[in-house]
Order: sequence, then C-alpha cells, then structure tokens
Amino acid sequence: MKNTMSIIFASDNESKLNELTLHRTTASLPFGGRYRCIDFALSNLVNSAITTIGIITRSNYSSLMDHIRMGRDWDLNRKNSGIAVFPPYASNTSTNVFKGKIEALYGILDYIENSDDEYVVVTNSNIIASIDFDDVYEAHVASGADITMLTYTAQPTTSRRVLVESDLSGRVRGMRITRSASEEYFEVGLFCYLFNRKQLIQLVEDSYERGKIDFERDILQANLDVLNIHAYKVKGHAALVDDIKSYYRESMSILESDVRDSLFDSVGKIFTKVKDSVPTRYCKEAKVVNSLIADGCKINGTVENSILFRGVVVEDGAEIRNSIVMEGGRIMKGSKLNYAITDKDVTVTEDKSLGGSEFYPVVVVKNKTV
Amino acid sequence: MHTSKKECVAMLLAGGQGTRLYSLTRDLAKPAVSFGGKYRIIDFPLSNCINSDIDTIGVLTQYKPFDLNQYIGNGQPWDLDRLNGGVFILPPYMKGETSDWYKGTANAIYQNIEFVDKFSPEYVLVLSGDHIYKMDYAQMLSYHKEKGADCTIAVINVSLEEASRFGIMNTNPDNSVYEFAEKPKQPKSTNASMGIYIFNWAKLRKYLIEDEADKTSQNDFGKNIIPKMLADGQKLFAYNFSGYWKDVGTISSLWEANMDVLDTSSGINLDDSAWKIYARNTAEHPHYVGKNAVIKDSLVTEGCEINGKVVNSVLSTGVEICEGAVVEDSTVMPGAKICKGAVVKYAIVGNNAVVGENAVVGDKQDGMVDGQWQITVVGPNAQVKANSVVPVKAMVD
Repeated sequence: MKNTMSIIFASDNESKLNELTLHRTTASLPFGGRYRCIDFALSNLVNSAITTIGIITRSNYSSLMDHIRMGRDWDLNRKNSGIAVFPPYASNTSTNVFKGKIEALYGILDYIENSDDEYVVVTNSNIIASIDFDDVYEAHVASGADITMLTYTAQPTTSRRVLVESDLSGRVRGMRITRSASEEYFEVGLFCYLFNRKQLIQLVEDSYERGKIDFERDILQANLDVLNIHAYKVKGHAALVDDIKSYYRESMSILESDVRDSLFDSVGKIFTKVKDSVPTRYCKEAKVVNSLIADGCKINGTVENSILFRGVVVEDGAEIRNSIVMEGGRIMKGSKLNYAITDKDVTVTEDKSLGGSEFYPVVVVKNKTV
Repeated sequence: MHTSKKECVAMLLAGGQGTRLYSLTRDLAKPAVSFGGKYRIIDFPLSNCINSDIDTIGVLTQYKPFDLNQYIGNGQPWDLDRLNGGVFILPPYMKGETSDWYKGTANAIYQNIEFVDKFSPEYVLVLSGDHIYKMDYAQMLSYHKEKGADCTIAVINVSLEEASRFGIMNTNPDNSVYEFAEKPKQPKSTNASMGIYIFNWAKLRKYLIEDEADKTSQNDFGKNIIPKMLADGQKLFAYNFSGYWKDVGTISSLWEANMDVLDTSSGINLDDSAWKIYARNTAEHPHYVGKNAVIKDSLVTEGCEINGKVVNSVLSTGVEICEGAVVEDSTVMPGAKICKGAVVKYAIVGNNAVVGENAVVGDKQDGMVDGQWQITVVGPNAQVKANSVVPVKAMVD
C-alpha cells in the first residue's frame, strides 16, 4: 500500500493495565511470549509496505525506545521514511503534556504535513491482530469513504469502547461510546483508522482550535452525517488489550491453534526485537503441555496451559499452571504458580505458592523477588 | 575509495562442496547447513570473529552460494554491517582475460590478494566454514605476536587413533613446528591442525604468489603453503586449543555435534552470554507444546508445534511433530514435519522434509561402527511415504 504513512499512539490514556504499565507504555507491554504489543501494529504496517511511521508517546517511553531503537528489526531503518518517535508533546505555553489524541496529533502536525503521502493510518498500539492494510485500502477506495474505521466483533468491557452501527453498505450510521460491559456481541471499533492525510490535518486543526479533545467523539461521532465513515471488519482474530483481564484472556487465546494461525500465519510475519537467545532446553524432569514457550528457557519442572517468555528458568519440582511468566523469570524448586502473571525478571523463591483466579490473576511486578 | 587500515583481516573458506554430507549439501554450501536448532555452521566462525574484535571478514564462496549469500546478507545479525570493514562475500571473478574457479584453499586467498591489500593488514586469519567451536582469535593473535611467528597454526589434542585422520604438527618444546605430516600412518604427535591459521600478511602474500607460479602445486594450505614455509625455515608455531572443536564434515560427526549441544558436559555451551553465537533470525512465534506432547532432554526453538514425543533431540525452527510421532536421538532441520505415528531414531531429517504417517526412520544405535554412527538421513525436501521403513544408515533424497 504505497502513498500511506502511519501514526501510532504508544500510550492508551484509558488503560487499566495497572502494575503491568507502571514502568512502560501499552505499546511496550510484553505479549505472546516474545512480543511487545506494538509489534503487531508495526509488523502489519511493514507487511503492507507502510514504512513512514510516527510513534507518539506520552510517558514512560524508555522501554519503548529500547525496544524499537532504529527500527531495524522491522526493516524500518530506512534512508527515506522509517520510524520517528515523538516524545511527549507540551506546547511552549503549557506545562502539561497533551490531553488526548487530537492535541497529540496537533503537536506533530508538521510531521504529518511534511509527508506527501495521500493516506494516513492512525492506530492505537494495543491491537492484537494480523491486519492486511492493502485490503483495508481497497475497501476504502471501493466504498468511497472519507474515513475507514477498523472494527471487530466483541463483547464490550468496562474499558472505553466504540460500538458501531453500520448499514448494509458498511457506512457507519451510529456510534456509541461506552464503558458498560455487556454479554451481547457488538461491532466494536479497534481504534485504528485510515484517513485521507489532508483531511486528517484539517479535522485535527479544526477540532483543536475549537477546544475539542476527544478523537472518537469530536472527530468521528460528531461528523457521522457530514463525513462518509465506513467500517471495515478485520478478518481473523482481533483483540484490544487494555486491562488485566483482557491481557490474560488474549494471551491465553494464543494457546488455541486457530488463533495462532490467524495471528502469525495469515497475512505476514510478526517481527520483534531480536535477542539472540539460544533454543529452549528441556531437561530430564520437564513436563510441558499446552503451552507457548519462547527461546532461551531452561525447563526442568511442570508447565501447563501457560506462556513462558524468553529466558525463563523453571527449576525441578516447580509447577506453573495457567500462568504467564515474562522474560527472565526464575521459578525456583518446588514453587507453584497458578493464574499468575509475573512481570520481567521476577524470581519466585523455593516452595512459594502464588495463585489468583481465571478472572483475577495475581500480578507480580517487575524485578520482584517473592 | 579510501579504506582504513585493519590490523587483522579474516578470510573464511566457505566454498567447499561438502560431498560427505551427501544430500544435505546437494543444494547448499556446507557452511550454510543448519546446526543446533537455530544456527548454521558458519555462525560459529562469524560469531567467533566478532567476539574476538575482528570486524573485517572475506567469505570465499563458490559452491551453491545463493543460500549462504542470502543468509550472510549485509552481516547485520553478527554486527558486521560496518561503515569500515564488515563482511564481504568473495566469489571467483574475472581478472582481465582470465577467470578461474578457486582451485584450492591457498588459491582462493591468492585470487583475493587485492581485497586483503585494501585493508593493509599486518595479519591474516584463515578460517574454514565447517567446524563447530568457540575460540578467541584475539588470544591466538597475541600468541602469534608474542612468538614473533610468521605463521601460527591452531592445534587440538586428539587421540592417537584419530591422529592419522588429521594434519599433524610435530613441535619442539617451545611449540615451534619442525614438521607437518598430513594424515600420517604412524603419527609422532597428537597435535592436529584445526585449519585455523594466522599469517603475517606480507609473508603469506609472497608465498601465495610463488605457490601460484608453481604449476605442480595443488594450491592448498596444508599440502603446499605450510610445508613450503617449513622447508624455508620460516617461524611456524602451534597454538594449543583445548576447548570443544568438531569438524562436522560427515553425517556421523554432524549428528554427533548436534547431540553434543544437548549434553551440558560436552563443552560446547551455546548459552554463554560472554560468548554468544549469533544467527540470522526468522521471525517465528514461540514454539507451542500440545496437550499430549512429551519433551525431554531436548532443544526446541521458535515456530515449532509439538504434539508428539521428543527425547534427546534437537528441533530447528518451524518443525512440526504430530500426535503420536516419536523423535529420539535425532536432529530435525528447519521446516520439517514428522507426521502422525511416525518414529524417527538416530537420524538427521533435512530442511522441509516430510516423514509420512506411521513411517519408521532409522533405529537405535548401541555405539559407533568403525568410528562412525550409523545415522539415517532424510534429505532436504524429501518425502518419506506413509507406513514405509527407512533402514539404518539409508539416505532418502
């Protein structure tokens, strides 16, 4: 998809990821054994040949910078185009960082104006999906839309959700922005949009000047009658990760083969920072079933229905069930984890037991020794 | 173009056909053969170079070079994409009216004298692309300087029985070499040449030119250059290396080296943060271990899907082991698939090969026969039919 640039929001202001985003942006939240959330957005864009990518950060972005560096792992270290990371924007006259997406986009208007691309993909970084932007573009052109918004079918949660009502042609006729959870399935916005670049500039300028803050409410919902906004339902598995519950559920969904096929084997590869880990070593007492295991692990205990990130050590007699152990975790002899999420470099000492429940997994913060 | 000076340039001989690896090197140069789950053989000398602060490497290729060239690319995975220096693929090329294939190891370097000259090095390190080992060439270089040698040859102590399969360096007490014996029937010592040399470039350059002029020469380091330098009374020293080192030029030794990676006491520890072995990465998802899988004493890497039983084996990137399949004491190369109920023992399964349902490949070995393991090979892209039996030591193309 030529002629297209992209803006990624590294932070989700609304995120309820608590401990997991204490020291990092949503974008750099570890996910799926060896990825960070933003790897999906970056890889999807690159796989569709979109290589001018601006990333807007809000706070705690050092882990993101360390992850992305010059963008080489996504083939984004280009002479022309490539990655630009924008530190939190504050205007000369204000001491606060930007309040919302409109202000954030206004802060980097120069960057967007300097491009000569025709289109812009504006996206959040917490979308777990394999998206073919060439297909999005074709749908965009075929529908004659001003804006195409990507959607998926899901149950609304207590996080902010945009529920979309579209007509048979796919044109969005109604939009409900809500935080009410429901058992019912809706067509839900993924916070990922395809804009005409010039129109985006004009909409952002206009909204900012009128003191508008809310991208979804003030630019999309308010203009439903004026602008031709179309919905594009993402094919295959899609999810938004924005609270502990969805993080846990979406992580565990990768243990299902159709979800793995959809995320990793449908449109293109998902790239991430290369760490040169060795293959994982299974020792004598290893008993591993139904689990996703990254490289560099050493396993001599029991691992069931779990996800191990790179370089995790599971000592003999340790039992890990229904848990997520992030990079560098060390689960020592005889300790037990059940429904736990341990952040990077957590050590669980001998014979300790940690457990939560399916809907409330216990979270151990980064670098902690239990 | 200005090229800045380098103290030492490495020349990596990667043109060998590797005929003794049979179908594994039918479409691939030997150094590009997969090893240890996520590596290729050439990752070892390349990683050793960068870990030894040698950042200028010429890779001499000639046999089936495309995979190898593509694999090395700009050298980035080994941190060898440098403004100055880096990794260079050096195939044979036209020179005026003539062009020649690389006739021998020495001739390959001879044909690239101009390349080496560009960096005006004091020393040239000659390496080969078919050994698995971790070695600090910087230490060997300081030894070379300390001894004031013209040429230093890395040697490893082998057993007396093995010694007649190697080039043997007979040395004085100060480690200077007085005699070189190529595969001696009655070896006088057990110092086997590892095919790793450091030369003073000015001296080597002269010998290469003379050797080229000698029409009877086979243009080989072991057969011609080293004996000639010895005969001329040049200062040759042996450098004793005591770590893990294995020539993986045969099916048996390639299999054995893979098994050595599984054995934590073998000495080839790949999980060494002080001496990382780098490899080109393939963006695959973490491996998935299924509900009925059993994995013990094995190495498994990204992209694998395992639903069967894997014992004492090395699985490479993207290998699929289906339900009820058994893989024991084997190495399975990238993208291969072992279908339901198939049994693979003491085997090497090549890249993207498929072992059909309930097929039986190889069998358990109690030990070596005449110094060789009886390893069964399923060649790259080969298809083993369902329910068929591939006997011990057979090769399926």
